[in-house]
Amino acid sequence: MRLGEALAKIDRRVVFAFLAVVVIVPFFVPLKILGSVSPPARQLFQAVEEVEPESRPLLLSVDFDPQSMPELYPMLTAILRHAFARNVRVMVMGLWVTGVGLGEQALNEIAPEYGKEYGADYVFLGWKPGFAAVVLGMGKSIPETYPTDHYGTPLESLPMMKGIRNFNQVPFAISLSAGDPGALTLWIPYVQSRFGQKLGTGMTAVSAADAYPYLQSGQLTGLLGGMKGAAEYEFLIAEKGYTEALTPAIQAMDSQSMAHLAIILLIVLGNVGFLLTRKRRK
Amino acid sequence: MHVLQLLTSAQGIWIWIGALLTLFIFSFLFGDNPLYKFAEHLYVGLSVGYMIAIYYWNFFKPDLIDPLFGQGRIILIIPALLGICYFAVFIQKLAWTVRIPMGFVLGWGSGVAVPAILQANIIKQIQGSLITTQMLARWDTLVWNLIILVGVITTVVYFFFSREQKGAFKTISNIGIVYIMIGFGASFGYTVMARVSLLLGRLQFLLGDWLGLIR
Repeated sequence: MRLGEALAKIDRRVVFAFLAVVVIVPFFVPLKILGSVSPPARQLFQAVEEVEPESRPLLLSVDFDPQSMPELYPMLTAILRHAFARNVRVMVMGLWVTGVGLGEQALNEIAPEYGKEYGADYVFLGWKPGFAAVVLGMGKSIPETYPTDHYGTPLESLPMMKGIRNFNQVPFAISLSAGDPGALTLWIPYVQSRFGQKLGTGMTAVSAADAYPYLQSGQLTGLLGGMKGAAEYEFLIAEKGYTEALTPAIQAMDSQSMAHLAIILLIVLGNVGFLLTRKRRK
Repeated sequence: MHVLQLLTSAQGIWIWIGALLTLFIFSFLFGDNPLYKFAEHLYVGLSVGYMIAIYYWNFFKPDLIDPLFGQGRIILIIPALLGICYFAVFIQKLAWTVRIPMGFVLGWGSGVAVPAILQANIIKQIQGSLITTQMLARWDTLVWNLIILVGVITTVVYFFFSREQKGAFKTISNIGIVYIMIGFGASFGYTVMARVSLLLGRLQFLLGDWLGLIR
C-alpha cells in the first residue's frame, strides 16, 4: 500500500487508541499548559467580585444536565466557591429538569466548605417547567413564581429572601448553559433585554462561539467557554486565594491541549493522504 | 487497593456501577453490542423516570394539587383541563381538543417571543455593530469594530439572493464567505474542545473516582 492510501485509510480503532494515549498520559505527567486567562472570563470574575457581600443575592441558573457536566459543573463549583468565599449570597435555580440534582449536589458540596447556612446564605429554588413563563414571572415577582423553594419551604420564611421581589434586587445573574433553554435562547431575550438584568454566562464549548456577538454588544457581562473557561475561572479564584480545593478543569487542560494537537495532526495527515491519492488518480 | 475498597461502601458501589456503565457505553467504539444497548436503555428509562418524579414534586403537586384541593383555588381547574387535553391525542374522537391548549401555547409563545427576539437578536445586535464616538477613543477598539462592521455588511450581502452575484457585488459577497468560514472554523474548534471535554470528564471519573490513580 502506498503512503497516500495508508494515510487515507487509517483504521478508526488506531485513531481511538492514539487519542486515548494522548489524553491519558498528561493526567500522570502534568504539563501545566493553561495559557492565559481570556478577557471574557476575567470580566465574569470581576462582575462576581462587584456583588456586595451579605446583601442582595447572585442568581445562578443551572441550565445543563449530566451530559455537559465535565464542562459546566467545574464552572458551577468555582463560581459558588468565589461567591461563598466573599460572603455573597446565592440563589440557585435551574431550567433543565435533569440538572436539578446537579445544582443541589454542588450546593451540598461547596456550602459546608465555607460554613454557609441554608436560607441565610443560599437558597435552592429548584426547577419549574415553562421556561419563558418562569423567567418572565421572576421579572414580575420571584415569590409568586416560586412560592416555595425546592424543598417546599415558603420563600418568605427564608431570611435571605426578605425584600427580594424581582430582578431589581438581583445585582448579577449567571446562566450556566448547555443549549436550549439557556443563556442565548432565554436569558438574553427575556431577561437581559426585557428587564435590563446584568447577565453573564458559562457555556458548553459547542455554543460558546455563538455567544461572542452578545458579549461584544454588551448584552453579556462575561463569558466562560467550555472546559477552558472553567479552568480560567478556577485559576482566577485560586490566584485570589479564595480556595485551595482541587481544580478538575485545570487538571484536564493538559489532556485537552494534547488532544487538540493530536486532532490537528490527524487532520493534516488525512489531507496529505487525500492529496497524494488524488494526484495518483490523475 | 482503592478500586476493591470501594465495594465495601454504599457510595463505592455506585461508583462501580457508574464505571461499568461508562465502559459499556465506550464499548460502542468497537461496534454495537448488548452491553451498550443495556446501558443506553437504562439511561433513557432512568431519565424519564427521574423527570416524571421531578415534574410531580416540583410542579404538579405544589402548583396544582395543593392549591386546588388544599386551598380550594377552583380557577386552577381551567389550566388542568387544558393540560388534560394534551392526552386526548390517544382517543381518536377527542383528538381535536389538543388544538385548544396548543393554540394557547402558540399564541402566547409567539406574542412573547417575537418582540423579545427582535429586541435581543436584531436591534441590540445592530446597535452593537455600529461605530460610535466612544470607540474612537482607542485605536484598537476602533479597528476591531471596523472589522466587525465589515463582517456584518459583507455577510449580509452574501445572503442577499434577489440579485445575481457578479462584479463588485460578488467581491463583497466573497469577503462575506471568508467571515462565514472563520465563523465555522471557530465553531468547529470549540466543538472539538467540547467533545474532548466529555471524554476527559469520564476519564477523570474512571482514573480518579474509580481506580484512584489520580486525585
